[in-house]
Amino acid sequence: MTSDVRERTLAKRLFSANTLWIALVLLVLIAVFGAIRPDAVLTTFTLQTTLVETSVLLVLSVGMTYVIITSGIDLSVGSVLVFSGVTSAMTMNAMNDGNATDAGWGTVLVGLVVALVSGAAWGLLNGLLVAKTGIPPLIVTLGSFGAALGAGQLISNGSNVSGVPDVLSDNLGTGTWFGIPNLVLLAAVVTGIGALVLATTRFGRYTYAIGSNEEAARRVGIAVTGHLVKVYLLAGTLAGLAGFMALAYFRVASITGHDTDNLNAIAGVVLGGTSLFGGAGSIVGTVLGVFIPAVLRKGFVIVGVNVYWQPIAVAIVLVAAVWFDQSRRRARNQR
Amino acid sequence: MSTRTVALLGAALLLTACGGGGQIGDTGGTGDNKKMVLIPGVAAEPFYISMECGFREAAKAKGYEVDVQAPAKFDSTLQTPIVTGVLANKPGAVLIAPTDDKAMAGPMKQLKDAGIKVVEVDTKLEDTSIAVSTVSSNNEQGGQLAARTLAKLVGEKPGSVLVLNTKAGTSTTDARAKGFEDEIKKFPNLKYVGQQYTDNEPDQAASKLTATLAANPDLIGVFATNLNTGEGAATGLRNAGRTGAVNLVGFDASPKQVQDLRAGAVQALIAQDPATIGRTGVEQAVAALEGGTAERDIETDLVALTKDDMDANEKYFYKQQC
Repeated sequence: MTSDVRERTLAKRLFSANTLWIALVLLVLIAVFGAIRPDAVLTTFTLQTTLVETSVLLVLSVGMTYVIITSGIDLSVGSVLVFSGVTSAMTMNAMNDGNATDAGWGTVLVGLVVALVSGAAWGLLNGLLVAKTGIPPLIVTLGSFGAALGAGQLISNGSNVSGVPDVLSDNLGTGTWFGIPNLVLLAAVVTGIGALVLATTRFGRYTYAIGSNEEAARRVGIAVTGHLVKVYLLAGTLAGLAGFMALAYFRVASITGHDTDNLNAIAGVVLGGTSLFGGAGSIVGTVLGVFIPAVLRKGFVIVGVNVYWQPIAVAIVLVAAVWFDQSRRRARNQR
Repeated sequence: MSTRTVALLGAALLLTACGGGGQIGDTGGTGDNKKMVLIPGVAAEPFYISMECGFREAAKAKGYEVDVQAPAKFDSTLQTPIVTGVLANKPGAVLIAPTDDKAMAGPMKQLKDAGIKVVEVDTKLEDTSIAVSTVSSNNEQGGQLAARTLAKLVGEKPGSVLVLNTKAGTSTTDARAKGFEDEIKKFPNLKYVGQQYTDNEPDQAASKLTATLAANPDLIGVFATNLNTGEGAATGLRNAGRTGAVNLVGFDASPKQVQDLRAGAVQALIAQDPATIGRTGVEQAVAALEGGTAERDIETDLVALTKDDMDANEKYFYKQQC
């Protein structure tokens, strides 16, 4: 947050915006892949599938952005996603004699509520432990990372849960609205609201303030404890929503397939310019940060990069992008 | 995150990295030769549950007390403490699916040194001197079977085929991919475009499948080497609107996969026979314990399931519970 009172030109403001550079990295990547295989990269099909495949992670990352801006971390989001998917799917099945495939919208609605509440419960637990006990967020959420996955396995007896209603998977999972996948629309709405709340409301300002200096925030009268609980609650609820979206998308509540979702979300957030030390960051940055690895993975497959090189290349671009961003900011701060 | 948190993170990572070391040897307890323990590769996977069913049934029939201890993830750092914990109880025999062909050699050697008979089920160590017997599916043959099944489904049509694999270095899935690769070359109408690794994550499998579709619009067949890649592939095809047009051959036959086969999201499944693996493992352990000779290597059969013949092969479906 700068305290620059002089009017700055639009160009200058754009130039100094943290997100501009990361957006450029993304555009360059798309341009490079597009130049190599224009017939395969610059198509509606590739655009659609890339967007759909990134929707779930994007919703997780929106919640993660808030948490990281408070200088916290949430390692549990992937496990909470699994837990919410499992409870939601099992509730829907239980309402329909064990198989909800042919169930109606009523069942789906209950499933959504169950997923959100399941996610919110873990978020609340994380938030209370972080805000009230002073245990570092890393340890609290490392605990819930294991516990939520374990609880999911316990409830589902450890196996993937199927029987997702067709109306859910056909509409939310694979349906489109004027060519835009519904899953993408939902993720876009969540992201839009997340961005507005963070940038324009008191809730957002408090989030930045706590991340900048928790003690100072407390002394100016911000209810830090309550606010932290709310932030983790938000992250948990969004993880619950992501679990429901994954259910619609994969048509199964997968137990083992989300081990690295937490790290992918953190990577996206940090790549988008949000500081791991808190106090700075934006949702727009997170959107760009989440898409860079997604575009890389997709592009490498399309242009036929050797499979063993792919993870190395993704890693190099990730670290290079953050390094580039950091050194640019350091240079700016020294002026 | 404060610097203290970062330091804690470092310490936590370091601890994880160092875990499982040490040389704590003989625990001195007396063994219980009438006890047998199964250590599957991961908890709650239908494949291992079906194996457990075969194991429990056979071991009880032979009058053995049984126990099953599974790690939460297919990971040697999680399986090692289970092995050392089982070691403390000194059962007569341990049936284990090692989660790493090198890293598990140390802990499993401790079992052997304590006089416990070790039988490998499903996966195996590189070091063949530790186990008395290895019972597994012939994964390479499974891959070949997948290639032949795919070729049969496709018929004379030309097109590209893709393999979606899990993680590089997983012996079972790599063998499946290799078998497929060798066999698919015998069909000149099919162009093999190589394999993609997915880190065993369904979302990556979906993404890599649609990327391949973009690059190779003539894609006509996909072989997914395990459950997660199969689920991701089915999702990717559904999103691309190509379900059924691209023939998907999956591996294993868990209830969801069987359901997908019936619904037409998957065109064929290559099923292993985990219950027989578990049963055979018990027989070999009993032979080793009761003075017989265990057969060193046993390979169990695989079977291809398609929608047409699936009902006749119901016994090959994996179970969620015994």
